[in-house]
Amino acid sequence: MLEAFEILTTSGIVVWRKHYANPPLSPTLINSLITDVFIEERQSHAPTTYRKDKYVLKWTTAKDAGLVFVAIYQSLVSLSWVDQLLAAVKALYVKHYATSNNSIKLPQLNAREFDTAFEALVRRLDSGSTARRLSLPDSDGASELTPPSSSASVADDEPPPSLPVPQFKRPAAPSPRLASALQDDTGNDATPVPTPDASRPGTPSSRLVTAKLSRRAKQRANAAFNNSGPASSGDESPARAAKTAKKNVKAKRQWDADGMAMEGDDRVLDYSAAPGDADGEAQDLDVEDVDNAKMGSRTGKGQFVLKDLDDELDAILASSKEPTSAPAQTAVDENSGLLGTASTKITGLFRNFVGGKKLTKADLQGPLQQMRQHLIGKNIAPAAADRLCSSVETDLLQQTTASFTSIDATIRTSMAKALTRILTPTSSLDLLRSITSCISGPQARPYVISIVGVNGVGKSTNLSKIAYFLLQNRFRVLVVAADTFRSGAVEQLRVHVRNLTSLSKREDVGYIELFEQGYGKDAATVARDAVTFASANATTEQRFDVVLIDTAGRRHNDTRLMSSLTKFSQLANPDKVFMVGEALVGTDSVAQARNFAKEFVDTKGKLRNNGVGLDGFIVSKCDTVGDMVGTLVSMVHATGIPVVFLGVGQHYGDLRGLNVAWAVDKLMK
Amino acid sequence: MADFEEWLTWTFSPSISAIVVTLLVSLLLPILLHSYLYRQSGAKELATFVLIGPSGAGKTSLLTLFANGATTTTHTSQVPQTAQCQLPLTTRASEDRYRSENDDSARTQPQFHVLDTPGHGKLRHHALSALTDTTKPLKGIVYVVDSAELSSTAGLTEAAEYLHEILLVLQKRHTQGKTAKGPQGVAVLIAANKQDVFTSLPAGIVKTKLEEEMAKVRLTKSKGLLDSGVGSEDDAGADEESNWLGEYGARTFTFAQMEEHGIEVSVVGGNVLPDETGKTVTDDWWAWVGDNL
Repeated sequence: MLEAFEILTTSGIVVWRKHYANPPLSPTLINSLITDVFIEERQSHAPTTYRKDKYVLKWTTAKDAGLVFVAIYQSLVSLSWVDQLLAAVKALYVKHYATSNNSIKLPQLNAREFDTAFEALVRRLDSGSTARRLSLPDSDGASELTPPSSSASVADDEPPPSLPVPQFKRPAAPSPRLASALQDDTGNDATPVPTPDASRPGTPSSRLVTAKLSRRAKQRANAAFNNSGPASSGDESPARAAKTAKKNVKAKRQWDADGMAMEGDDRVLDYSAAPGDADGEAQDLDVEDVDNAKMGSRTGKGQFVLKDLDDELDAILASSKEPTSAPAQTAVDENSGLLGTASTKITGLFRNFVGGKKLTKADLQGPLQQMRQHLIGKNIAPAAADRLCSSVETDLLQQTTASFTSIDATIRTSMAKALTRILTPTSSLDLLRSITSCISGPQARPYVISIVGVNGVGKSTNLSKIAYFLLQNRFRVLVVAADTFRSGAVEQLRVHVRNLTSLSKREDVGYIELFEQGYGKDAATVARDAVTFASANATTEQRFDVVLIDTAGRRHNDTRLMSSLTKFSQLANPDKVFMVGEALVGTDSVAQARNFAKEFVDTKGKLRNNGVGLDGFIVSKCDTVGDMVGTLVSMVHATGIPVVFLGVGQHYGDLRGLNVAWAVDKLMK
Repeated sequence: MADFEEWLTWTFSPSISAIVVTLLVSLLLPILLHSYLYRQSGAKELATFVLIGPSGAGKTSLLTLFANGATTTTHTSQVPQTAQCQLPLTTRASEDRYRSENDDSARTQPQFHVLDTPGHGKLRHHALSALTDTTKPLKGIVYVVDSAELSSTAGLTEAAEYLHEILLVLQKRHTQGKTAKGPQGVAVLIAANKQDVFTSLPAGIVKTKLEEEMAKVRLTKSKGLLDSGVGSEDDAGADEESNWLGEYGARTFTFAQMEEHGIEVSVVGGNVLPDETGKTVTDDWWAWVGDNL
């Protein structure tokens, strides 16, 4: 069942919304959809579908009007018609209500008018798609229960539902159909007296009864339970109930005369019926339902839907059903007509320079392909380049170029924007601030930073650069040699520490020390011991502020080595884990980043740092690649983890933060 | 060539048609010129206020309140949005300062533009470009903060870092102005929103907390690493002092230090969404807007 439907602008204003749940669903659902999908562009498995908690959100956008349409339903049920509903609402809305995006006025809408249209649309689609929903499509469900041969007066004195209440609303009472179905189950000895189940609204007993039915029947019963119209629940006088029940029993008897499994049914008197029997019964009911609905819908429609609106909805639905064939047709037409109308082509070329051209997919294809080649030439992985290009394409499609701007220039600005967005971190990292807040206060403890990466990317070098930076800020640093594997790793760090010690003594800044336990020991244990050692005298003057852990380099596709990272992160429990990647590596950076990020799982089996794994990347050797700094983009694209530091030289001081404008400038050169 | 000479002869001849044409040209030209120039100067650009702040502070809600007089439900913004607003009758604009209370001659309430910017970390470049955009007459900045969120360390840090960034841009705009006159000063209103929430901090505490936190941010920013853009030509003149917000070298930061750069900061509380009594408290914000028009 549909929980909510909202129409909002890209600037965040809700234009229209309908919540079936009471109280309305929390706005965080849609907010997280916007941040995750639209802003951070995290890939989801299916396009236009987003799962959050126990809800499924489906959306569609009207780019030129700056609108987003979102439908929310519980993930337990699968609503196949939601896509159609979205397309239809979008068509209806854009046609009638949408104004241009850049208007100075805020969007406003005659909500009541749109309410009616929306209700009509939902009713139409919902009844048209799934057969089981047909059982009770509308608010005039009760009239359908009466066989067509019976007097029409029952249907006539139904109050026309002037205020269309959605059929999704959970009714208080089980539908009469459900009741009668149950009654049929209990035995067909033609007792016209309604069972208590039928007349008592929403008793748990009816739930209990349904629970005993077979799975299919239960499904149907639930559907009916959820979908019964308000009219049927509204005027459920005992007399009416008796009447409908009686009529239904009559219909049932007719079926009995035609049917073949009469004796079998007779025998089933209790609820614990064999699944097969109940199934058979349910199937027969199903057939009856469809017939009834067909007849009912012919009379039922149009009573409550305005006539013209009705026609329009028909047209919209029809057009939304063939969305793929129509544009293809027009595209073909355009292409074939190009020779004939050379003038249009000339104007197109002219407009390319002057601007004011509406961009189509064909217009964008060539320049985007060029742009993709350019990006790949800048060392961006093809997957990331594709993603950037498609984001530019969705950004520009159906847009009009500004005056005196060619398509190429438009694409360049849009691409620069896309690059800026992908590189800009969601929250900036101020390392000094987080260290200061960690080592001060009543629960002071050393701040633990760990560095991981593939062999030879410069883990130890970058670690000593960070150590130098921290020493400049007068922190006391403990460097841990947790690379117990490669020969010379500890000695290498000892040289760094010796150099840094003499440097810091000369400048009279911080203090640095090496923690090592030799080779061959378990890296995780060494790291844990180091953290314990550093925290031992946390309150005294001799405390350590920062613990920097160097780890052994490992190949990212070696599962045995990679899995030891999990134990490492659980034992050492670092505050920050940085992965070093070199700017020289090409496409492989994507796989490296992904594989490292997924190893950092905490004890509860959840990725640390809010399900991201790593805290940031250090991209080393940036000075060796000139302006081919595409590795930055590839790594951020693969994981959504920001780049925090860049290694730009051979000296201790050659560590830089990332300036997004600088990187974008280099990439677009 | 003969044609041209003939035509010249005609223009100087004392024929009646030549005189009429000359008269028409001499009379109409100034009129056309005037009307052209008059249109060029255009309608006076409306004053612009920019709504800035962390995500979820209530910027878009405030925008709808300013523009429509009532709030609508909102979600996270993805793009900036401009709306035209008019000062309510109850608020006096600064240009009405000297108007007598008893003056009942017709007056029109001034109109202005409000630009709402997205607060999500990845989309803050919209706000920064709006600040440096010189084509729009920027009158003031409304920095919206969620005063309930400020009691948590993370919320306070985010609000302070963003405010630091904004104020630094404004300060640079003032100090690095190319013209001798320099751009006009900008008023900054820190709107401590959501005062209706139980855990919210009052405006005074919001101010002191932000000031304390910004002093820390300023310190760590100055000690932090240089970023990779350093040394590029447009950043050439940047030294440590120009990246220091407020009085250089001062240990504590107060908003009063910004007045040197023509930035007046005021902190005013209120709530956009109606509280349990169904009241929105925005009168003081309106008054601030009226003062700065």
